[in-house]
Amino acid sequence: MDTFTIQRQDKDEFSVLNLFGFLDAHTAPELEKQLDQLINEGRCKIIVNFANLNYISSAGLGVFMGKIETVRSMNGDIKMCKMTPKIFRVFDLLGFPTLYDIVQEEEEAVQLFASKEGSSRRAYDRT
Amino acid sequence: MKYFSQLSLLLPFAFFCAAAALYLAGDRAVALTWIGLRHEVFVITSVLLSLPLIYKQKWASDRNVLRGIRHLFFLIVMTGGILFLSRQRFSLLQQKIISRDWFRLNWSDSVFVVLWAFFSLIFILIALGTLRNLIYVKRRRNTARHFAWLMILMLLYAFIGLYKGRTQTEFIENHFLKYFDNIVLFLLINFIVINSFRVGWINYLNKKQKLACFFGGFLLIPLQISFVNQYKEVSPVYNFSPFLERFVETGMIFIAVYLSFAFLALLAHLPTARLYDRKLQQIRSLHDLSRALSSEFDWDRLVQTIVRLAAQVTEAQYSWLELYANGRLALVSSWNLSLNEERRRQADDQDRLYEALRTERESLLLNEAGKDPLLRALRRWKSGLGSLVAAPLITSDQVLGFLFAGKQEEFSFEQDDAEMMRAFADQAAAAIMNARLVEQSLVKERLEQELRIAHEAQMKLLPKAMPALNGMAFDAVCITANEVGGDYYDFFDIGEELTAVVIGDVSGKGPSAAFYMAEVKGIMEALAGERLSPEEMLAIVNETVYRNFDRNTFISLIYGVVDARRRRFTFCRAGHCPVYHYRAAEAVVRRLEPRGIGLGLTSGPLFQNTLETMIVDILPQDCFLLFTDGVIEARNPAGEEFGEERLAEAFKEANETHANEIKKHLLHRIYAFFDGAAAFDDLTFVLFKAVAETKG
Repeated sequence: MDTFTIQRQDKDEFSVLNLFGFLDAHTAPELEKQLDQLINEGRCKIIVNFANLNYISSAGLGVFMGKIETVRSMNGDIKMCKMTPKIFRVFDLLGFPTLYDIVQEEEEAVQLFASKEGSSRRAYDRT
Repeated sequence: MKYFSQLSLLLPFAFFCAAAALYLAGDRAVALTWIGLRHEVFVITSVLLSLPLIYKQKWASDRNVLRGIRHLFFLIVMTGGILFLSRQRFSLLQQKIISRDWFRLNWSDSVFVVLWAFFSLIFILIALGTLRNLIYVKRRRNTARHFAWLMILMLLYAFIGLYKGRTQTEFIENHFLKYFDNIVLFLLINFIVINSFRVGWINYLNKKQKLACFFGGFLLIPLQISFVNQYKEVSPVYNFSPFLERFVETGMIFIAVYLSFAFLALLAHLPTARLYDRKLQQIRSLHDLSRALSSEFDWDRLVQTIVRLAAQVTEAQYSWLELYANGRLALVSSWNLSLNEERRRQADDQDRLYEALRTERESLLLNEAGKDPLLRALRRWKSGLGSLVAAPLITSDQVLGFLFAGKQEEFSFEQDDAEMMRAFADQAAAAIMNARLVEQSLVKERLEQELRIAHEAQMKLLPKAMPALNGMAFDAVCITANEVGGDYYDFFDIGEELTAVVIGDVSGKGPSAAFYMAEVKGIMEALAGERLSPEEMLAIVNETVYRNFDRNTFISLIYGVVDARRRRFTFCRAGHCPVYHYRAAEAVVRRLEPRGIGLGLTSGPLFQNTLETMIVDILPQDCFLLFTDGVIEARNPAGEEFGEERLAEAFKEANETHANEIKKHLLHRIYAFFDGAAAFDDLTFVLFKAVAETKG
């Protein structure tokens, strides 16, 4: 009924994942697989586009949490953009904006990767 | 009644004794005169009385063919023995009779004659009873009638004999009587033959029994025929009772004829006996398998049964079964193979043999296993293989595996073995499929059972009663749509007029979510007595969760303390949905959403720095609502979410009433919104309302 698809676009060193549909406990493994593949390829500058995502559950959020440490340890990051207010509300409630760069447009995400400032925000920094 | 029937058996014997007594009393000389008819009447009465009595006995109604034949065999051999032993006596008697020296017959002679007459009568009656049972096997409408006619004719013939013995010359001169006698004899012979055709019981003997009967017949039939002759020659009964003499004689002839017919029929059956046995065996094996199919779900026993019966139907020396499991072919069971052979077997389903079986979807008959190119790989494993039949186990759409049966000798399987194997393999495939389905449903049931247990454990984590706090009324609800959800609420009594309120949601579902929840509850319960501030409490819980939980698991949670004395609510929000506060004085619902990150997402200073504590005064009639996202994410059939606005509205509507009424109203609104839509997430909320304080 509720389907979920991922469209991957590689632009230079960045990989953009366009998410479509419903991201919940059933469909989360697909996203996890896609992220694993990017990590295996060494493409760690990941931008996730939420423009076409209708719903995200806590299991969907968990996928990003599970991968972020690996990605950041490889000098990359997962940046998020184009969230609808509803999706942003879910991220916001959980305090994700303090942990991730969440921006309006894809270009902004690219710029954040360029500036050192963007990647300096480390959620898991234990120092 | 039981004793009566036993006694009544003795009645004929009593008649005999009476006859013997009369004989001894000096009637010997007139044995064959009309005066001597007296003994004859006794004899006939005893025969007529004995007929029903003997046939009523248990052994007489025993329809077991084999036991019947054994009876007959012993009877005839016994008679032979007695005849042989008393031969001397017979010839002595015979001489006395021929010399008409009646008065030289002494007392012991008389007893001997009477006893012999009695014995021969019993013998013939028992033998006839046994024969009747054999004749009645698979009886038809006329069977009983024919046998009855035979008995009637035997009696009639014997009666004629009675008359003839008394009136020798007169009888011979009377043409009518002579012809009548001949006609009765002719009919009697006819009926003997008709009855002798009833040898259907031979079909029910197996090969071994047929052979035993055949050799038994070799002995019995000449013996019986010689009795017929000897009896006539030596028996003194003739001089005693012509009726008895004829009755016994025709009975003996009947036995001899019947046995000869049976012997001939047996002869005709012998060559096909093995085949007949095999067919029966095959049918039985198929039947056994179909019984196993419907009742045997124990996997090991089922595959053992299959290989055992496969060897049985093909009369093979060994058999084995190979099945696919996880895409690989492996030997699962064998019959008469050594453990070592079983272990060494490595089936390669790309081999030509399997290729052939798969494409043909038919059984294969390989009678030159030593040379067959198809079996090159198999020969390396099993040396000394002479012949092989193999069949694929096929269900409607897939090949489950292969069944093999082998012998050391070449050319020892027939085409019908291959066909049998095919039929057998089809049955076996169905049985295996059945057993697997049952197994699957069992596994599924076990999983469901485990989930149910997890669900019960989770429900036990929830508080059993609402806290009793002065001037506060609490209520809560937790409904899980799936067996195990991730929602959780709790209350802790942490001191005088202080109650901690907790609501949380573990990401993900299933048993693991319940375990995480239990862990969080454990930490908080242990720390509850310390009177930590919500900020301190959440900082500690966050560290534990971050360190111990899976990285992709986190918890959103609100920890708050209701202070009944100072009338205020102090709480922190770790990534959870906001708290709704109904301020009664202003009749508005305020959304309280202090900053805070979910538990387990990050550690250390970032978490603590972000976490904000909120303190709210509780005014009279104020009400607080804590909920999980399941409440606002509930969707109606149109896919619309219940949403925060609707929730706030519903919360506001009900606020004039009691806490319990508010809960009911909220649930009512949510269910009404669902409009029967089946799926919703877990649904949990906690609410408390300031009520009038109870003084004292």
